[in-house]
Amino acid sequence: MIRIHDLEKIYKTEEVETIALNKLSFQVNDGEFVAVMGPSGCGKSTLLNILGLLDDPDNGSFLFNGIEVAHFNERKRADLRKRNIGFVFQSFNLIDELTVFENVELPLIYLGVKGEERKKRVEEMLDKMQIMHRRNHYPQQLSGGQQQRVAVARAVVNKPKLILADEPTGNLDSANGNEVMELLTDLNEQGTTIIMVTHSEHDARYSHRIIRMLDGQTVTENILA
Amino acid sequence: MLKNYFKIAFRNLWRHRVFSFINVIGLTISMTACFLIFLYVHFELSYDSFHSKADRIYRVVTDLKTPSEMLHTGGPSWAVGPHIVQEFPQLEAAVRTTGDELLVRKGNVKYQELNSLYADSAFFKVFDFKLLKGDPATALNEPLSIVFSQSAAKKYFGDQDPVGQTVLLTGDGLTAKITGLMEDMPENSLIKADMLVSMTTLTRKFNPGLDDQWGNYGNSTYILVKPGTRISALQAQFPAFLERRNGDEMKRLNMYPTLLLEPLKDVYLRSTRNGNNTGNINNVYIFSLVAVFILLIACFNFVNLTTARSAERAKEVGIRKVVGAMKAQLTAQFIGESVLLCVIAFLFTLGITALLLPSFNQLAGKIISTGVFQNGHFILLLLLAALGIGLLAGLYPALVLSSFKPVSVLKGRFSTGSRGVLLRKGLVVSQFTISITLIIATIIVYNQMNFMRNQDLGFNKDQMMVINTNSDPAKEAFRNAVSGMAGVKSVAMSSSVPGGGNPGAYSMIQNKKGEMQIANLDLYFVDFDYIPQYHLKLLAGRAFSRDFQTDTTQAMILNEAAIKLFGYSSPKEAIGRRFSQWGREGMIIGVMKDFHFRSLQQEIKPLSMRIEPNGCNLISINISAKNLPATISDIEKKWNALIPARPFSYFFLDDFFDKQYRSEERFGKLFLNFAALAVLISCLGLLGLASYSTMQRTREIGIRKVLGASVTNIVNLLSGEFLKLVAIAIIIASPIAWFAMHSWLQDFAYRIHISLEIFITAAILAALIALLTVSFQAIKAAVANPVNSLRTE
Repeated sequence: MIRIHDLEKIYKTEEVETIALNKLSFQVNDGEFVAVMGPSGCGKSTLLNILGLLDDPDNGSFLFNGIEVAHFNERKRADLRKRNIGFVFQSFNLIDELTVFENVELPLIYLGVKGEERKKRVEEMLDKMQIMHRRNHYPQQLSGGQQQRVAVARAVVNKPKLILADEPTGNLDSANGNEVMELLTDLNEQGTTIIMVTHSEHDARYSHRIIRMLDGQTVTENILA
Repeated sequence: MLKNYFKIAFRNLWRHRVFSFINVIGLTISMTACFLIFLYVHFELSYDSFHSKADRIYRVVTDLKTPSEMLHTGGPSWAVGPHIVQEFPQLEAAVRTTGDELLVRKGNVKYQELNSLYADSAFFKVFDFKLLKGDPATALNEPLSIVFSQSAAKKYFGDQDPVGQTVLLTGDGLTAKITGLMEDMPENSLIKADMLVSMTTLTRKFNPGLDDQWGNYGNSTYILVKPGTRISALQAQFPAFLERRNGDEMKRLNMYPTLLLEPLKDVYLRSTRNGNNTGNINNVYIFSLVAVFILLIACFNFVNLTTARSAERAKEVGIRKVVGAMKAQLTAQFIGESVLLCVIAFLFTLGITALLLPSFNQLAGKIISTGVFQNGHFILLLLLAALGIGLLAGLYPALVLSSFKPVSVLKGRFSTGSRGVLLRKGLVVSQFTISITLIIATIIVYNQMNFMRNQDLGFNKDQMMVINTNSDPAKEAFRNAVSGMAGVKSVAMSSSVPGGGNPGAYSMIQNKKGEMQIANLDLYFVDFDYIPQYHLKLLAGRAFSRDFQTDTTQAMILNEAAIKLFGYSSPKEAIGRRFSQWGREGMIIGVMKDFHFRSLQQEIKPLSMRIEPNGCNLISINISAKNLPATISDIEKKWNALIPARPFSYFFLDDFFDKQYRSEERFGKLFLNFAALAVLISCLGLLGLASYSTMQRTREIGIRKVLGASVTNIVNLLSGEFLKLVAIAIIIASPIAWFAMHSWLQDFAYRIHISLEIFITAAILAALIALLTVSFQAIKAAVANPVNSLRTE
């Protein structure tokens, strides 16, 4: 599904040049669950942004489903993104002004799904995530675990092929964290490819493979399953 | 999708109530101000456009060249109207009008009709004033025919049909027939009258021969030309026409008129020949400009507050982009929000305008509009304007917000930094530049008004009660009765008083070279008591005196302006020189100091005074301030006893004179109101901006306090930044205001100097207002416990 080769990303300010990704190469196959680990500043987040088509690399190649996307413009990236990729963030990133239902509905709106169909799919998803009873609440009225379940629901409601999770349990206690990890595992078992950035060895053990990064390069890869 | 936008827009507005409130209030105030100004401007521009033939109606005016000066009159001589229509086939009709104050009596009901108008019979053919009863073609044909307006007719006839009935006209009690009833004339009409009297009353009964008097002025003449007439070609034929009909007299009198045509639609706003009660195209421009400025200020507020808040909205933008929103969709969403805001403001504007309209009408001194909801297309226009404002004001913030990169905003690393700060500062500076310009302008307008009211006019206007006897035969008897009364200091009679009209007379005065120089001199007929009672100062010679028998017919007093016109370098030189005026000849016996017999807008003109009891209809009574009501009621009793046919009415000279400044006063008041609004809206914006800026700097303030900064330090830090912007605005606004107001003042012959003080006052005022606005936020931030702010990070 994903094949990157010699990927480079350099941040420049007036005086300092920071190399975030240094000729990084790896690949992720369909249906895999990959964890990316490494200390702060090793380039994990930059990698995730590029994989999520939120940012573009300075050099190297990025094949997404066999298509070279490294130099797509914003419009093309956005189009590809909304059809194929779901995001889960550490800080949930729900829109405070929208209800649970409306937050989950959002990707379907931007995909142009009709109202009836949207309602059906959102309700299905909320049911699955066991937050149907909270559908008309606003994010601030929910616990962290519930918020992250909403975020996961939103990430998968348009049935993406790939989920990018950025420390999905970082703001949760262990019980809620485990629940979210179970959810992701379920999704993976149903065929969704998952790439997850995490600091937690415990969470990483849910994945099939761990990529460890340092200074913008992969250092080791452990295969778990 | 649209529903989603509106939903989130509504919730967003509600959640950020302060922000929304400032924006909606600012937009509402500015839209209300603009709407009112629009109504005013529309009204001013609508003058006389209700006549269906307005495009073919012209007013005939005259430039009259004498050996001494060029006079610009508002009408031609009496003969022009009847002759011009005979001479030129291009004309369909000509109408002369002249105003008068006529006594009308019906049984016990008597009124001095102040808005009487003599008009030629073609009046209803040329103009579209609606005749409800009577025949428009013949109503004004016969002498002593009257057409009443509805409200005037009501005074005499109640709900009865007045047509065919009679009233008694003038003090002589001539029987006049009511031949028509017309709708009250619209407010936006140059011609206004409550009562029309056939012109033949004047030309056949009161003053036969008027139709052929080429040297007698004092009427307005309007012509209706046939469709397709070339006005310039028509005008070019006038000199030959005058030469043919009146060439000999022109040469003999050495006065040469030039006839000019003014399009009717331009007369009210653009002609300078209308006297006091007229519009001014410059005021229309000025208020339009003010409206645009006020709107700009509110739009700037919107842009400022929205971009200042961008950090808050950034997360939403990021999320929406991550889940698949395109930039264009986000742009549309944000524009939608600003449009929604404007639509809310539009609704408020409608309501508030409806509430304010009566007071605005009062402020403007006329019924600009009877109701907001009377005019559907105005409301539609306002709605379109609101949508347009929403679109324009929302465009920039929408583009900025929708271009945020999700990568940077979602990780919380996003800071507004210096982004847009320069723009916001620029906009604040422009807002305050506009506000300060308006403040300076207001101060100057008010100073000029004060100056005009308090300037020494050169005559005594205090405690001076003036009664018009309208040449009643009992006027002398009344005067004698009043002069002996308790509470009356002195009594004088004259043809004119300062601030009112006076005749201009064809005069020949011996000039310095000894020649008899022709000039049109302003003329006051007075009695022996007038000059002392009005405290007019003699510079040379003497005042009129009963000791000199010849003074009643052969004496003239001139003012300084007049002797300058005739070449004298000192008042003394003019004494003893000869004059000839309106059939009288004699000597100049005195020269008086110039006094302002017209408003301070006008230069003091050459003025002559003569004794002429027949011409003196105004009685000026200098009464003591003690027991004023009792004295007035005594005077009224005397009047009712001696002149029972006429209603008793009077005015006080100081009020009367100040009336000339009423339109300036209104201008000043309107200007003050709109300037205050502009300042208010600017401050609203500043308040919002200050609160966001302090919010963003909470952490910085916390750190500074931990490091030992005092509350004063912090307040200075936060306020200082905004004061700097105001200072820049003052520097930009001052020359603009100076330039604009310098040219405004050119309309006044006597005017104030624009002093440095005015700018300093405005600067201090603006700085104080800004400081008050900002310091509240600054103090709040400065006294907060730093622990709280540092913990939030």
